Amino acid sequence: MTLSTIKITDRDHQIAKLSAIAVALSLVEFFFPSPIPGVKPGIANIIILYTIFKFDMQMGVWVSLIRVFVTSIILGSFLSPTFFLSLSGAIFSLLSLMVFKNLKREYFSIISLSLIASLAHIFGQFIIVRIWIIPHNGIFYLLPIFIVSAFIFGLVTALITIKLLQLNPKK
Amino acid sequence: MKKKLLQSYKLIKIGDWFTIILFCLLIIISTKLLWNMPQGEYLEIYKNNELLATYSLNQKITKEIKGKKGKTKIVIDNGRVRFSSSPCPKKYCIHQGWITKANQTIICIPNEISISIIGAKKGYDTINY
Repeated sequence: MTLSTIKITDRDHQIAKLSAIAVALSLVEFFFPSPIPGVKPGIANIIILYTIFKFDMQMGVWVSLIRVFVTSIILGSFLSPTFFLSLSGAIFSLLSLMVFKNLKREYFSIISLSLIASLAHIFGQFIIVRIWIIPHNGIFYLLPIFIVSAFIFGLVTALITIKLLQLNPKK
Repeated sequence: MKKKLLQSYKLIKIGDWFTIILFCLLIIISTKLLWNMPQGEYLEIYKNNELLATYSLNQKITKEIKGKKGKTKIVIDNGRVRFSSSPCPKKYCIHQGWITKANQTIICIPNEISISIIGAKKGYDTINY
């Protein structure tokens, strides 16, 4: 019999801790009533942005995807439309961050990246909704509301992330 | 406090302003493109899902229609329409008030009467898709 040993690195611990915080924030958000149905601030994204900028992109991808899966399993929405919506939103914003993360840091701060990612999140969700959940053009009527909320929450998320990064500077 | 505010102001770099302006432009364009509902031209009255009559919206008349439960009064007033009286118990149709834009509808389920405004050309909605 061969013994397979999994080496748990510091990095894994770091990912686990950050994912746990992100999941906790998602759950807090879930239990808070939202003023407009469907519009959520996405406070867990603070942790994901923080991870990406404090550590690296790969770790951010891990934390983001673990958050989506674990949150949906806890809330019982795993493999339901809600789960796929949040998964596609997460994938689209991660892809947009991968594309735009090489923007010159002197001119573009986290604010730009957060705004781009929040916009990508909305489009990712809208693509899934249009193709699968409500295959009707009428849903685009709601798009401006979601773009405005993406703008506001993207900005707030970025400012909080900047503050967090200032409190815990890169070693 | 004021100093702190100024410092957070400095966090926003030139490129960020560029992104923010682009984002605002996107909001304006998407709102204009997606929310330009055409004004209505005609009113269609349905009884039990069958088209009963079509009227022009550019007039000032009150129509009485006999539904399943009784008489419903529909008021057309130069481009806008509402239910003014209905025999239904909850009066949702009356509380909806005036409708003016193409593809807007008022439905009275108990009395089986619905009205919808149509524009010069039909747009998308859940009913005529």
